[in-house]
Amino acid sequence: MATLEVKDLRIRYNRSGPEILKGLSFNVEQEDFFAIIGPSGAGKSTLIRCINRLVEPNSGDVILNGRNITKVGRRGLRKARRNMGMIFQEFNLVERMSVMDNVLSGRLGYIGNFRSFLRFYPRADIQRALELLDEVGLSDFVDKRADELSGGQRQRVGIARALIQQPQILLVDEPTSSLDPKIAREVMGMIKQMSEEAGVPVLCNIHDVQLALEFSNKVIGLQDGFKKFEGPTKKVDKATLDEIYAMEIL
Amino acid sequence: MMPSTLEHKLAKILTKRKKYKAIRYGLYIFIFLLVLGSIQTTIIKDTDWEKIGTFGTVVKALARFFPPDFSLFPHLVKPTIETFMIACLGTFLALVLAIPVSWFAAHNITPYKSITYPIGRAIMTLSRSVHEIVWGLIFVAAVGLGAFPGILAVAMRSIGFISKLTAEAIEDINPGQMEAIRATGANGFQVILYAVIPQILPVFVGNTIFQWDINIRRATIMGLVGAGGLGLTFHRQLVMYNYGGVTTVIIALLLLIAIGEVGSYYIRKAII
Ligand SMILES: Nc1ncnc2c1ncn2[C@@H]1O[C@H](COP(=O)(O)OP(=O)(O)OP(=O)(O)O)[C@@H](O)[C@H]1O
Ligand SMILES: [Mg+2]
Repeated sequence: MATLEVKDLRIRYNRSGPEILKGLSFNVEQEDFFAIIGPSGAGKSTLIRCINRLVEPNSGDVILNGRNITKVGRRGLRKARRNMGMIFQEFNLVERMSVMDNVLSGRLGYIGNFRSFLRFYPRADIQRALELLDEVGLSDFVDKRADELSGGQRQRVGIARALIQQPQILLVDEPTSSLDPKIAREVMGMIKQMSEEAGVPVLCNIHDVQLALEFSNKVIGLQDGFKKFEGPTKKVDKATLDEIYAMEIL
Repeated sequence: MMPSTLEHKLAKILTKRKKYKAIRYGLYIFIFLLVLGSIQTTIIKDTDWEKIGTFGTVVKALARFFPPDFSLFPHLVKPTIETFMIACLGTFLALVLAIPVSWFAAHNITPYKSITYPIGRAIMTLSRSVHEIVWGLIFVAAVGLGAFPGILAVAMRSIGFISKLTAEAIEDINPGQMEAIRATGANGFQVILYAVIPQILPVFVGNTIFQWDINIRRATIMGLVGAGGLGLTFHRQLVMYNYGGVTTVIIALLLLIAIGEVGSYYIRKAII
């Protein structure tokens, strides 16, 4: 059974507006690192956000380990979301909070209001947060405020925050677009290595085709809300890319 | 010698400036006439000039306020403290009540937009458009004389200011941080706690300190309508024609306001 099944996903932001995703279907297996590529405006970010319902799809199914996320209520949705770690282009850390508290915020789905108000996290969570921060090379930055970090460091905190959720899948939206090429490659490497260690598949939007081909094992090419291509990374050649990015050339 | 094209441009600029000059002078004259007209209708026509009398009597009337009546001093300690406490408690109450009001009145986080947003906005407008003296009268009528209606009046007046600026700050926050916290599976309360509050805390605290400073001023006049504090003493001295006593009360007021001014400066510096 696939970890994530997406079936005929459709969405339009406004009732009268254009359809942004036009019936997308694909499966993600446990060992997959999917790169979603395609021209700007193709709907890559929308797709990622439909999967954890940060935007509500109009129709279609998203099934994570047998559980249909599009059918669950609010409480069920929160449970489903804690099973999906998300990493953002703009990092989206809470700027005025410490690195440690930012990582721990990944556990919010597991603790109650009272504990979150007082920031009382179980000892095991704190220990895990420290281990993850050590793994991304930030164990000396625990008490630093997030807004004191560089872009690369912030994204590493973002990775730790996503992984402390103990997710069943990682949703990643342009993790490297705000970073310089060298740091970008480091961050991609970290996502790949840590997701493999945790045994979770990755669904990653990425602009940089070279990075996409280097780190993924499967590729989805989106164009204007349609799936133009899906297949193993090694099957992607110049002709495929030309087709996926056809709109930009025109 | 300038080239002819430049000379042409210069001529154009100069005529333009001349035109603006004319407009500007016209405006000055208009404003001057407006001021004159206002003085004519409000001061010259409306004042009972017979009663004002000569310059000498004006000076004499003012002289009654001196010297200050320092024998009143021991009686001022309690009302001064009371005024100060009205301001502090009023601000605190406003700060607490402003939290739900800002939550309701910020369109990006309001819980049930079509119901709670208008409620939040209405409370805000009501609070800001009714003067503290009027709030004072209302609460004196509702709960009787004393400091308590003063506290309520000051709080009512402050809620609107604090929550308006806070709601605006909430509407300006970075939505990405909210999205990230929501994506962890956090509930609405946790999203506000982790993604909204840290972003607006400096604005909220800054506004509250500012309101505290203003509320000290507001508290000083609460007594005029029977809502406790120095204003009441002021009123009593006035109706007893003890003008020296009035001066003493004014001195106490000035001292209190200065404390607020200096205090808020240092608190702000310490926190922000
Ligand atoms: N909140 C929104 N409201 C309305 N339309 C939106 C919204 N977000 C995105 N869109 C539209 O949906 C389309 C797809 O946007 P999306 O951000 O998913 O593209 P993308 O493939 O991620 O592009 P990029 O590579 O530039 O990030 C665009 O035409 C965009 O204008
Ligand atoms: Mg995008």
